Amino acid sequence: MGNTQSGPPHPGKDQKKDEKDQKKKWEPPLPTRVGKKKIKKGPDASSKLPAVFPTTRCRLKMLKMERIKDYLLMEEEFVTNQERLKPQEEKAQEERSKVDELRGSPMTVGSLEEIIDDDHAIVSMSSGPEYYVSILSFVDKDLLEPGCTVLLHHKTMSIIGVLQDDTDPMVSVMKLEKAPTESYADIGGLEQQIQEIKEAVELPLTHPELYEDMGVKPPKGVILYGVPGTGKTLLAKAVANQTSATFLRVVGSELIQKYLGDGPKLVRELFRVAEENAPSIVFIDEIDAVGTKRYDSNSGGEREIQRTMLELLNQLDGFDSRGDVKVIMATNQIESLDPALIRPGRIDRKIEFPMPDIKTKRRIFNIHTSRMQLADDVDLEEFVMAKDELSGADIKAICTEAGLLALRERRMKVKADDFKKAKEKVLYRKNEGTPEGLYL
Amino acid sequence: MVKKEVVIPVPAADNAPMEEDKPLKKPPKELKDAPIQDELSEEDQELKSQLEMLVERLKESDTKLYSPSLETMKTLILTSTSSMTSVPKPLKFLRPLYSDMETVHDSWPDSTDKKFLADILSILAMTYDNEKLDTLKYRQIGSGNAIGSWGHEYVKHLTTEIGLEYSKRQEKDENSDDLVALALEVAPFFLSHNAEADAVDLLLQLDNIPKLVDFVDINAYKRVCLYLTSCVNYLESPDDQICLRAAHDIYLKHNKYAEATLVAIRMNDKEMVQSIFDGCEDPLLKKQLAFMLGRQQITVETEDEELQDCLNNTHLTTNFLQLARELDLMEPKTPEDIYKTHLEHKRSTGVQPDSARQNLASTFVNAFVNAGFCADKLMLTDDPEVTWIYKNKEHGMLSASASLGMLMLWDVEMGLAQIDRFLWSQDDNIRAGALLALGIVNSGVRNSSDPALAVLSENLDDSKTVLTRVAAIQGLGLAYAGSAREELSELLLPIVSNPDLTMELASFAALSLGMVFVGTCDGDISSTILQTMLERTDGQLSETFGRFMALGLALLHVGVRDQCEVTLETLRAIEHPIGKRAAVLVEICAYAGSGDVLRVQRMLHFCNDHIDTSSKDGSSEDDEFQAYAVLGIALIALGEDIGSEMALRSFTHLMHYGEPVIRRVVPLAIGLLCASNPVLTVLDTLGKYSHDNDVEVAVNAIFAMGMIGAGTNNARIAQMLRHLASYYHKDANCLFIVRIAQGLLHMGKGTLTINPLNSDRQILSPVAVAGLLTTVMAFTDVKTLVLGRHHSLLYSLVTAMYPRFLITLNEKLEPEPVAVRVGQAVDVVGQAGRPKTITGFQTHSTPVLLAYSERAELSTEEYLAQTPVLEGFVLLKKNPDYVEESKV
Repeated sequence: MGNTQSGPPHPGKDQKKDEKDQKKKWEPPLPTRVGKKKIKKGPDASSKLPAVFPTTRCRLKMLKMERIKDYLLMEEEFVTNQERLKPQEEKAQEERSKVDELRGSPMTVGSLEEIIDDDHAIVSMSSGPEYYVSILSFVDKDLLEPGCTVLLHHKTMSIIGVLQDDTDPMVSVMKLEKAPTESYADIGGLEQQIQEIKEAVELPLTHPELYEDMGVKPPKGVILYGVPGTGKTLLAKAVANQTSATFLRVVGSELIQKYLGDGPKLVRELFRVAEENAPSIVFIDEIDAVGTKRYDSNSGGEREIQRTMLELLNQLDGFDSRGDVKVIMATNQIESLDPALIRPGRIDRKIEFPMPDIKTKRRIFNIHTSRMQLADDVDLEEFVMAKDELSGADIKAICTEAGLLALRERRMKVKADDFKKAKEKVLYRKNEGTPEGLYL
Repeated sequence: MVKKEVVIPVPAADNAPMEEDKPLKKPPKELKDAPIQDELSEEDQELKSQLEMLVERLKESDTKLYSPSLETMKTLILTSTSSMTSVPKPLKFLRPLYSDMETVHDSWPDSTDKKFLADILSILAMTYDNEKLDTLKYRQIGSGNAIGSWGHEYVKHLTTEIGLEYSKRQEKDENSDDLVALALEVAPFFLSHNAEADAVDLLLQLDNIPKLVDFVDINAYKRVCLYLTSCVNYLESPDDQICLRAAHDIYLKHNKYAEATLVAIRMNDKEMVQSIFDGCEDPLLKKQLAFMLGRQQITVETEDEELQDCLNNTHLTTNFLQLARELDLMEPKTPEDIYKTHLEHKRSTGVQPDSARQNLASTFVNAFVNAGFCADKLMLTDDPEVTWIYKNKEHGMLSASASLGMLMLWDVEMGLAQIDRFLWSQDDNIRAGALLALGIVNSGVRNSSDPALAVLSENLDDSKTVLTRVAAIQGLGLAYAGSAREELSELLLPIVSNPDLTMELASFAALSLGMVFVGTCDGDISSTILQTMLERTDGQLSETFGRFMALGLALLHVGVRDQCEVTLETLRAIEHPIGKRAAVLVEICAYAGSGDVLRVQRMLHFCNDHIDTSSKDGSSEDDEFQAYAVLGIALIALGEDIGSEMALRSFTHLMHYGEPVIRRVVPLAIGLLCASNPVLTVLDTLGKYSHDNDVEVAVNAIFAMGMIGAGTNNARIAQMLRHLASYYHKDANCLFIVRIAQGLLHMGKGTLTINPLNSDRQILSPVAVAGLLTTVMAFTDVKTLVLGRHHSLLYSLVTAMYPRFLITLNEKLEPEPVAVRVGQAVDVVGQAGRPKTITGFQTHSTPVLLAYSERAELSTEEYLAQTPVLEGFVLLKKNPDYVEESKV
């Protein structure tokens, strides 16, 4: 019934009677709304624009958007007119100085222990004592949460401001400021992989309505797997190069921290930052560093790593919905990963990177040699057609090695001979009886 | 999707023609910036050469080969797998050959082959993003095969080009019948492929919505109509009316009388309502229609007495009391139960505010809280003298005896019995109050014997005091609001036009006429009021009652849109500032609930100027129209979610920059916009305003808090108001308003609403708007009216009051408890599949209460509801196909 009727009716009271005789029913105070820091999504609530439904591409959506635009234009017109007629700067200045006056100086810094009600809280000072103080009305209560640092009036100790700490510096490092130079054109072959990753990661961010039209939810994340040197990281770089979304990149090993609880916290922070900057793509390289199968372990360190993974599980598909955050993971050893990590819903698409076939090899050779000075006698076909197991990285190594050999002899061109030697060298090292996958 | 090709090129590089796949003997020598060339796989190469060969063949003169090669080309195009991220291969390879094919096409003589080629060119043109609109061009000269044969993407592309071409031709005023014909081919395709929105969009763009009616089948009509009706708010006139009419026709075609009635009500078309009502055969459904019309206070003619009862809302009081019993709310509440003073912060007992004011506040609180319950602890006691009345002073006694009407709301017979004894009271105030009470009791219900008209009309003549006459006039207005009965215009018009009567009488008569004839645009009445405005002296017009005369005029035009132009024109002739005020009022009323952005812009322009009223030389301009303009923004934006939210943003700007006259009205406008809809952000804003330095801003903000919480029992507002009560404990005026707001908050013990929107927030009730607007107007001059002698204007809210219940009735109109799910309404327009219409629901058994943004649905299929909107009275029919789950 919406529970909106008032409680059971009171026994009627005659006003004439002495009211003190009757025991008044105690009503619990309302829970305060402050202290629960809102997860900020986009701009402030006051300046937020109404949500527009439907999300599919249609005229109704356009009409609604236009309506919002019309209103915004009117607002703009009104405000500019008013500013012209009656500048408010002075008034604002006055108000600001008034607030400063109320704040007083010097100010002290304390930490918020507990919020009692809408305008009272307990704070503790760095020196030790705790106080029950009032919160001044101009403090933005949305920013208050237990444990945050607050500014206090020097005499009354009332809260006069909130000090906002920024995000964990660790996380801000992960944000990719400069896009890598590798683009899709630098990838030889892998068409299907590129297409899959585009469908799963880029398209939901750029054209969500396609999925809406179909009535399906876009995939949340992909995992790239395959033997070393097949271009997993390269593809991720190309995605970063191509997209305008925020790109966060982490290496699995970065999530392992010295202190208990720091790893999971970092994961949380990572996803929080990702959501704040949505739409965003989180790329976790070498996920097997944290994502291995769970097993009984007595080592505290291993347990901590497992807990980090559990937090990752929760962030990928937990209770809180992640908006426009897509996850890309990369690993060499998909079979060692915890099945919970790569179940559908968390990671919807598994993209395998095979060893290149002949056509792909040709392309990779072409890409790597396109900027080299080659002598006329070089016939790359010979290498392409060879039956050796060459990965993309091997090919790159051959080309580089050939170039270096030419350099050693101070030649300006790379000859076919250089390539042969380089290939032998690379293959010799590869098959030298060293443990597989180890490069010397 | 069948994966035919393993390798799919990605258009990331570019769409330039690709080099052939030659061995890497001679890599390009140009070093830097050499374009990286994509090679083709063998299959691609094969496909490409095949296509090239086909085109070559078309260029040759052997006509026999044309048909098979075109056929092959078509199969190749059709069988290619496309992907979301890339262009299908054959199209890509044919792209460089497009111009060749065009020339080939031009050179051919007319033949079926030529048409066939045109078809292929049509789809090829899709890959060209040029201005030529070739897809459309070749489609029109093509063979005209089934529209869907090239796939969905092609149809969408074609639709865009039709739209572009149409608007081009519209500019040049050319004939575009061929486009319409093509669109009529496209629309059914969309409708049968779950793309109703596209179909509607296309026809809307080509101004051909009525054609939709023939295409829509039983599977699609619901979604089409939902989309159409949701578009209406954002379309310009006359498109909106056309859309509504189309929706109406579609509903009628599928025999959905209830839905059609709602649309007809929205169109404000009485004749259409009547024809639907007459056309409905099913007696049960007809009763449901009668209930729906009764809710909107619309009368239709019918012989059937049972139907007449439904129309007259005769069942309202019994069912409301039934609801109260179900919810255990029968115990009357005293004002103290509402105030909960023991929870207020006790301050040092300073000056005790005068107790008459306090008692008056309690009178109102008692009236609002126990409204419609026919029982309370102050007025309807066993005490024959009713001592409570005498605890109020003078005009307070008027409001006290009028509160009887509120308590007995909707129960005409019992109400008459209770009120009767006060009608013969010695005291003028009490008698006047009783007359008003009589009007209030009859509000929203109609009775064949018309007791209100009979008694009240006796008290209009000159022999009675002004007080009684005003009360009688007000009572008539409330009792017959929206009924548009001729008798009343005969009774009241002479009072308006008589120049010897005081402005007070004339204004209230005008107001009552406005309420009775709300939204009818009645020519006689508006001309009489205009005439009076012209004749009266400036001094009289400047009286505070002048605003009600203007309001009366305005109410006549509620929702009539551009029909108000004549009145506006006449108003320009009035030199007194009342002319401008009335013009603004008429305009905002005419466009109430339309969401018309241009009007909102006009209102904002009105608020632009900073008018200096304090200049001493007497040339000061009038600024009151600005106040009405602010109200206008709320009134116009009402009923459309985006507009309302954006209007709230505008209000913060107005509050920031506005002169006092604007700032005072902003809280009221917010209250009007969010009546009975306590949104947290709005509440915070009002909470701030309620401590404003300007007392009138504070008073209005407090009242607005009452309005937005009206009938919700919202605990947060209750707490805020208690806080305000202790904050203003020394200020009698503010405290009075705080008390009234508390009363409003618990209106009907939390069972009523004053929101003028109903039936899924689609229909704006003009009667409710009239009541709300009158009350709000009383607050634009709060000192003289509400805090002065005319607090009885607060009772004008009664026309907007209605239980926010859902009651399910069976065929015999007896309550039938069923399980319903109640949850937050979700906007499902244009979503794929069958999305849920409510979220976060709980299951209850009827009768239940519904909050502003809530919606209900039946939780089992045992019964079928006769109306699509589960609100108010809902008639149920047993579902013949229902099988109990346990028996399955």
